[in-house]
Amino acid sequence: MTEEKAPQPAYELKGRKKPEKEGWIRWWGLGVFVGLTGLLALLWLFLVDPFVKRMIEQTGTKLVGAKVELGAAHVTLSPLGLTLSRLQVTNPDEPMSNAVEAARIAMSLDGLNLFRRKVIIEEMAVEGLRFGTPRQSSGAVAPSREPSAVAKLAAKVPMPSFEVPNIKTVMATADLQSVKLVEALQADIKKEQENWKRRLAELPDQNKLNDYKTRIEKLKSSTKGGLGGMLGATGEVAAIQKDLAQDLDRIKSAKTDFDRQLADLKQRVDQAIKSPQEDIQRLQGQYSLSPQGLANMSGMLLGGKGGDWVRTGLTWYGKMQPMLAQAQVQSKGPEVVKPIRGKGVEVRFKERAPLPDFLIRAATVSAQLEVGDLKGRIENITPDQQTLGKPLTFAFAGDKLQGVQSIRLDGAMNRVRPAQPKDHAQVRVQGYQVQSMTLSDSADWPVTLGKAVADADLQVTVGGQALAGQATIGLQSVKLAAGKPDAANPVIKAIGGALSTVTAFMVKADMTGTVEQYDIHLTSDLDRILKDAVGRQVQALADQFKKDLEAAVMAKVGGPLNELKSSIGGLGGIGNELTSRLTQGSLGSTLPANPAEKLLPGGLKLPF
Amino acid sequence: MLRMLARLLAVLNSETHPGQISLGFCFAMVAGLTPFLSLHNLLVLLLVLAIRVNLSAFLLGLTVFSGLAFGLDPLFHRIGLSVLTQDTLEGLWTALYNSTFWRLEHFNNSIVMGSLLFSLVSFAPLYVLSNFAIRRYRAHVLAWVEKTRVMQFLKASRFYGLYQSFSGMGGGL
Repeated sequence: MTEEKAPQPAYELKGRKKPEKEGWIRWWGLGVFVGLTGLLALLWLFLVDPFVKRMIEQTGTKLVGAKVELGAAHVTLSPLGLTLSRLQVTNPDEPMSNAVEAARIAMSLDGLNLFRRKVIIEEMAVEGLRFGTPRQSSGAVAPSREPSAVAKLAAKVPMPSFEVPNIKTVMATADLQSVKLVEALQADIKKEQENWKRRLAELPDQNKLNDYKTRIEKLKSSTKGGLGGMLGATGEVAAIQKDLAQDLDRIKSAKTDFDRQLADLKQRVDQAIKSPQEDIQRLQGQYSLSPQGLANMSGMLLGGKGGDWVRTGLTWYGKMQPMLAQAQVQSKGPEVVKPIRGKGVEVRFKERAPLPDFLIRAATVSAQLEVGDLKGRIENITPDQQTLGKPLTFAFAGDKLQGVQSIRLDGAMNRVRPAQPKDHAQVRVQGYQVQSMTLSDSADWPVTLGKAVADADLQVTVGGQALAGQATIGLQSVKLAAGKPDAANPVIKAIGGALSTVTAFMVKADMTGTVEQYDIHLTSDLDRILKDAVGRQVQALADQFKKDLEAAVMAKVGGPLNELKSSIGGLGGIGNELTSRLTQGSLGSTLPANPAEKLLPGGLKLPF
Repeated sequence: MLRMLARLLAVLNSETHPGQISLGFCFAMVAGLTPFLSLHNLLVLLLVLAIRVNLSAFLLGLTVFSGLAFGLDPLFHRIGLSVLTQDTLEGLWTALYNSTFWRLEHFNNSIVMGSLLFSLVSFAPLYVLSNFAIRRYRAHVLAWVEKTRVMQFLKASRFYGLYQSFSGMGGGL
């Protein structure tokens, strides 16, 4: 057994002397590490500002769907914070204007949470916030954009003309359903007439039925030839009886079919007779000349403007939705999320003090509106309210503004339970000086609120998609102008006169429906005032229009309708013919059950 | 490839202690198999620079192991996911998940966990195996390699000269 020899060190193989013993620490290496780390930190300090700027612009643009631009971003380390200058967020629906522009945004960050990849902004100050500012270049990122569902609802409420429509013009463009119905029915009746003529020809006629009678008479006379003759005749009678019964069944079946079809056609004729009245009612409604229309005159007068405000509010509400969209489901145990090929998967565990990945605890906002500065505070801005357990709240106020005594806006957007989102807002405006507000820009029927002082209270709640809201607006010192001074129409003149005497009125609005399909119901004192002033005149005009319409429609439908009545009468002949044939053929019923008995003399019965 | 072979031979044939070369390979395995921009790799870098580890062995190993990592990622993912979703370890992972340091380490990523676990478990065996292999090489193969034409050519190259002069600085590059 040989002992393995230990290998010789390389220095011995090369005949060099053993190197001096060195320690395990490489001091210059430690220096290199410190130097490298320092260099990286220095690079980070120089590059972090442009990096943050680029990241905000890219993320914002992706989120908004239009360019988000930033003048500058500055990161401070002690205390950890970020200051943004001139943030511009393009309005995706109008690329040449900014939806929002902020002069300066300063925020302090929670550094420890930043290491945990959570952006927690403790306090944020937004200064110089402005809306709808013009842009020097287009901020569109996509060539075209489909308008949102809310924007599509921008159609204005048409104002009534109060002119009696020209009956010739109405009839020229009218699509009369009654005429179509009568014509279609006439064609059907004609077709049925042809069908039944053909079917009658195929059925046994009078001659054939008479032939049966002749044959029976002949048999009767032949029975006088003795018993043998009688027995032969019995068989023939049975054959005649069978043929006759078959023919009568065919006629009966045809009669049943005919009666059913006739009843159906008569029902359609009844409908056709009523159809001109339906056309008249539809046309009346189409030309909206009814005194009932005055009952909601305030809806027509104020609905357009109110609708504009609601649309604007809902558009902004829609724009805020991505910010509140649920980012993730709160973790209760190990949970595997987001599998990415080649990058592994993230496994999430329950957090002891869970915080969303992004949170602005509080933001103080100073907005520059046309009427002056509005200051407010927004709390708990996060796309993951479920994790935070608190809803977003906001409160804004402005006093002694230009043309407005005070504005208060507060509310909450609650997504703590994502399946049951509930948002509400309340707006209170006091002493709003209205100056030359166009309520209707219709060329025939312009309505302008020249002057008024308004107090408004609006409450809106959105639960899921369901929208509910109430608004009460009180207007004092009112000066209203409606219609053109040289208007020839007496109704328009009367309405204009009535509105010019109004000095104060109340408007109540109820909003119902969904965010995309909402309905605003407006009621006001104006309705009563206008109804009193012009109700009778409008009724007279409506009556006259109805009379003219009836005459014109009947002139067009009356003739075809009479033809229709005579056509349906013509079908009666076919029914009579069928009945007559049935009567004629009923002679078969006079034959006995056993034909031979009838034929035996003196009622003599056969033994078989 | 030839350059890598030359570098390997230069390292093995140098007077550097086998332990320093082996440590270089082992640290390279950790840094190469796990995602490079991980927090623990900062510690690896600190150790590689501060401890007298053979830097050439580390850089050579880093190249090799980084290449291997691409093919081994599915295996690391399976190991990591299985460990992270073990019911018995849930308490530990939850505690780590609530620590800022470990969140920064990104331990809850299946590939980070799988590759780190794999490389840490393989660290000591690779060290022992590598040490043994270097010693055997130097005892039985080095003399023969020194005489080969390739080695003669290598020794004449500028690279080898540079390496020898720098390795003389201590600890070996």
